[in-house]
Amino acid sequence: MTTTLEHTAAVATEGGGLARKQNFLTAMVGGVVFAWLAWYLAHHFLDASSRNYSDLVTTALTFGWIFGFWLGIGALNGPGRWLIGADHTRADDLYYAGENQGRKRYWKYCTDHKVVGVQYIVMTAVLLGAGGILAMAIRTELIVPGNHFVNQQVYNGFVAVHGMLMILALIVAVAGPWANFVVPIMCGARDMAFPRLNALSLWTLVGAAGLLLSVLAVGSLTMGWVVLAPIADQAGIGMDFFAMAIIVFTVSTTVAGINTICTVMTMRTKGMSLARLPIFVWASMIAAALGLYAFPYFSLVEAQTLMDRTVSTSFFVADGGGTGWLQANLFWLMGHPEVYVILLPAVGALFEIASVMARKPVFSFRTAIAGMTGLAGLSILVWAHHMFTTGWAPTLGGPFMLTTELISIPTGLFFLVIIGTIWRGNIWMKLPTVWLFGFIFNFIIAGITGIYLSDIPIDNQFHGTVFVTAHFHYVFVGSVLFGAIAALAFWYPKVTGRFLDETMGRISFWLVFLGVQVTFLAMFVSGFKGMPRRYSSYSMLFEHANFVTTIGAYMIMSGMLVLLGAVVRSWNHGEPSGPNPWHANSLEWMVPTPPPLENFDVLPVITEDPYNYREELVRS
Amino acid sequence: MSIDTHAEHDAHGHDGGHHEPPEVVDGRQRMAIWLFISGDAITLSALLFTYLYLRGVNTGGHWMSMVGYPTVGPNGHSYAWYEAALNGSAGLPNPQVVMQAPLSAGLNWLVSILTLVSGLVVWAAEKGLRATKNAKTFSSLAWVATALVVVTMFFTLKQMHSIPAIFVAINDSQTMSYTAYASTMMVITGSGLVHLAILAFLGVGLAIRSARGAITGDKWFQARLVRLFWVWVGISGIIASAVTTTINTIH
Amino acid sequence: MTPKKEKLTGIYISTFIMTVLGVVIGIYGPSRLMPRSMSDNMHLSILTIVVFTVAAAPVAAGVYAVSLHALRHWTHRGDDVPAPAADQTREHPVLVTSWVLASTLLTVFLLVWGLGALSVDNGGVGRNPLVVDVTGQQWLWTFSYPGSNVQSPTLVLPEGRTVEFHITALDVTHGFWIANMGVQIDANVGTTTEIHTTPNALGTFDIRCTQFCGLNHAYMVTTGTVVTKDKFAQWLASQSTKA
Repeated sequence: MTTTLEHTAAVATEGGGLARKQNFLTAMVGGVVFAWLAWYLAHHFLDASSRNYSDLVTTALTFGWIFGFWLGIGALNGPGRWLIGADHTRADDLYYAGENQGRKRYWKYCTDHKVVGVQYIVMTAVLLGAGGILAMAIRTELIVPGNHFVNQQVYNGFVAVHGMLMILALIVAVAGPWANFVVPIMCGARDMAFPRLNALSLWTLVGAAGLLLSVLAVGSLTMGWVVLAPIADQAGIGMDFFAMAIIVFTVSTTVAGINTICTVMTMRTKGMSLARLPIFVWASMIAAALGLYAFPYFSLVEAQTLMDRTVSTSFFVADGGGTGWLQANLFWLMGHPEVYVILLPAVGALFEIASVMARKPVFSFRTAIAGMTGLAGLSILVWAHHMFTTGWAPTLGGPFMLTTELISIPTGLFFLVIIGTIWRGNIWMKLPTVWLFGFIFNFIIAGITGIYLSDIPIDNQFHGTVFVTAHFHYVFVGSVLFGAIAALAFWYPKVTGRFLDETMGRISFWLVFLGVQVTFLAMFVSGFKGMPRRYSSYSMLFEHANFVTTIGAYMIMSGMLVLLGAVVRSWNHGEPSGPNPWHANSLEWMVPTPPPLENFDVLPVITEDPYNYREELVRS
Repeated sequence: MSIDTHAEHDAHGHDGGHHEPPEVVDGRQRMAIWLFISGDAITLSALLFTYLYLRGVNTGGHWMSMVGYPTVGPNGHSYAWYEAALNGSAGLPNPQVVMQAPLSAGLNWLVSILTLVSGLVVWAAEKGLRATKNAKTFSSLAWVATALVVVTMFFTLKQMHSIPAIFVAINDSQTMSYTAYASTMMVITGSGLVHLAILAFLGVGLAIRSARGAITGDKWFQARLVRLFWVWVGISGIIASAVTTTINTIH
Repeated sequence: MTPKKEKLTGIYISTFIMTVLGVVIGIYGPSRLMPRSMSDNMHLSILTIVVFTVAAAPVAAGVYAVSLHALRHWTHRGDDVPAPAADQTREHPVLVTSWVLASTLLTVFLLVWGLGALSVDNGGVGRNPLVVDVTGQQWLWTFSYPGSNVQSPTLVLPEGRTVEFHITALDVTHGFWIANMGVQIDANVGTTTEIHTTPNALGTFDIRCTQFCGLNHAYMVTTGTVVTKDKFAQWLASQSTKA
């Protein structure tokens, strides 16, 4: 039955067509045009002699960029149509889901969660690649003391931007592609709860990445990615781009987090109780909830930094009564939960992979959930362990030591679940499994060195040295990245219908795995010897360890390039895999490859969890 | 890529789950609104944390005042800005720090109460729509609520305008800077302004949509979604006013 | 098909060997690599690192041993799709409980040790500590000895006397770290932080800035010296006359 309104709206959509032409190009054009416009207006109305002038103008420019980008990609069409009551028809919905548009839909504001998943794979690669180039510049500079590969100012700027790019890359590395592509299908749903918000979260990330990459072009920063006050005040306009990139990014994650939680809580098909949900879905939901808690602090602290720079507030300026410690507290209130937002999806994917590849159920599903929930809950209470040496609240040192050391208990449970799953399994040694074993090796080192740092007397020695850097690189590179690559190798056949090249994948694995040990074990040595972090040069004491570290970095780089080659080559030339190459039970393997537009002709009814491995599955 | 070509509906709505009843969609959207409100609540608590932290740091209990103001911190050293004010040290030539008397809550309460009232107007409108199914009345009430919000925005701007600044000399030129207290007031009222702008947008949307038939008697729960957020913004204003007033009264 | 219930002695042996390896690395590694200890704080920190390494060694060894055993005995051979594992265990309450208990006990032990070490570090400054004011700025440290009006770019300390540092910064946050004495704290603008230690060895030590403070952060390094109490008094006197 069509009402007059639906008819009118349908006519408006078919006749209009402008909205349907929007894509990445119009977004870039919109962003640049409005950035210029905002800059021009600010420049016209503001007093050029005021000390905040350049920051105000720059901040206006960044607002213009994101507004124009959203306008250009079509993100504002939804609110606009809501305002005037012109709701989407079903035909509109199908159009925006990319029906019949072929490859073009990947460049557009497409609401199909599978398209968004692939777009996130691309964004992860872009961010990892950009961060990786900066990492190689940093390590090349540090190969010998007193090197001049890049000048010092440039080097110092690379340090912060490398950090932020990699943090963004890892936040989305597993959650972006797979919480989008796979989770709705795993739940037995046709799409995410809010498909248009899904497209919004992806394209907002693209807009934020544009701002972050621009930091390098406008003079960069000379502080770490934590951009502590008061040194953040000394940075040039690069800091304004940086702060806005983060504020825009938190819009992306907030929207994505709400979407994930609502999808899992309200879109499960009949029979799919929470107890029958795949563990990866649980992990995605817990990570999303934790992110919802943590990221508001991030946008607030960056907004306050921006306000200090543009309107002369004194949140963090001592002369006006502010304090850098406030910045540090707000930052780390976000910063510690955030590392678990990064870790949990990777661990969830690895639980899934361990089960499928060992041909047996996830060991103690309840323990896995308890571990993830406990980790997320405790992570809210540990933030000041990043501030043990700031001099802030020495009396709180003991309590924060307690909460931080307690976190090792749920973390240890992850090992129990994985070990229990592979115990007496019939382990299929394919690419995903290989990266899983690499993760096990690296995550032990990551976890144990974290416990060192949680102890205040040890932290008094190691804080601010590359020991800390080596610890969190074992977490991010050794553990999270390994989980992300395992997830990629595991679900790649579902996206493309082909296996990721096994040989190239193994070569890449050995280069990266050995590279990680060479790079970061040598970095631990530098840390023990006493080399502070974020140093553009260093004393002769540390020269051998740094040389070895750089060699390791080149190994990692080679391995990642081989992996990139494998991803690109296998997309069209890989060995065909069929719809269920791993003979697994979860719903994503039950649909064709690639999955049809709305995943299921008829929504399935579930009677058991996906961890019952039976003989007939092998033969199917 | 295959697409389901079956008919979208048959007489009993058996279409493999393509068309969902409005109540299902509403339940999902309500969860989303509550999650968004939770995130907003975290932001509010971070703002209030900032306020209380800076207040504690600056004052040992009282905001800056010319008279009887504690100028020595708990560790026995003078506050840096006070030293600078007294003897032109800390590397700043000719510093002049004008200390402000403690600010009253000012228009905070007026703004918060007006916002809450406009939210109650929306609530009443929603109840009316649910009962009488009269979209036209609902539309008019939505305009009333929007007008209230615009008035509230005006008062918020007035409040922001009245936040005092101090003068600090940097590099031989006198420039304005806001004290820590003023900074927190600015960001709290600024955040309120942003929320009010969103409410104004939502109000206009409700008014237009109901006039054009997109919100009808049967789809009344769209109004509820907006009302949830609207009333939350009012409540958050009340919370912020209560916290700032209480701490300034008891301490 | 995996053989039913094969012996697990391999795991125990690997665990033992790797634990021994870890313990040996723990006992000899840190003290050889780390800067020469010149205070009780540093000695305690190094000891704590050794204890933590020794405690962690069996945990890491156990996980690695099981993984190695899995790679050797539980991997599917052949190109066909592996059949479901013979062992389809989903729960093992005794194992889970034991694991949680063991990891809690280990955590409590580490926590108690850590809190103990912390309280020793924070322990009394004695009746007459030497007070040194430290000022950090981009990109150097200045040390002044109140009571003698001496200001110096280098830090000289007497052996055996507790020194209490009062630390502040002029421009941005810096990190004051005496690499040989296991003490570190930030130098902040607008406030003063405190740490104390007692040098117990003669010789030079390194002070390095550990908080990224701008362009020349990597060069904000200086050395100091611990001398005998007499030499220190002489040095202080000579500095006063210069000033």
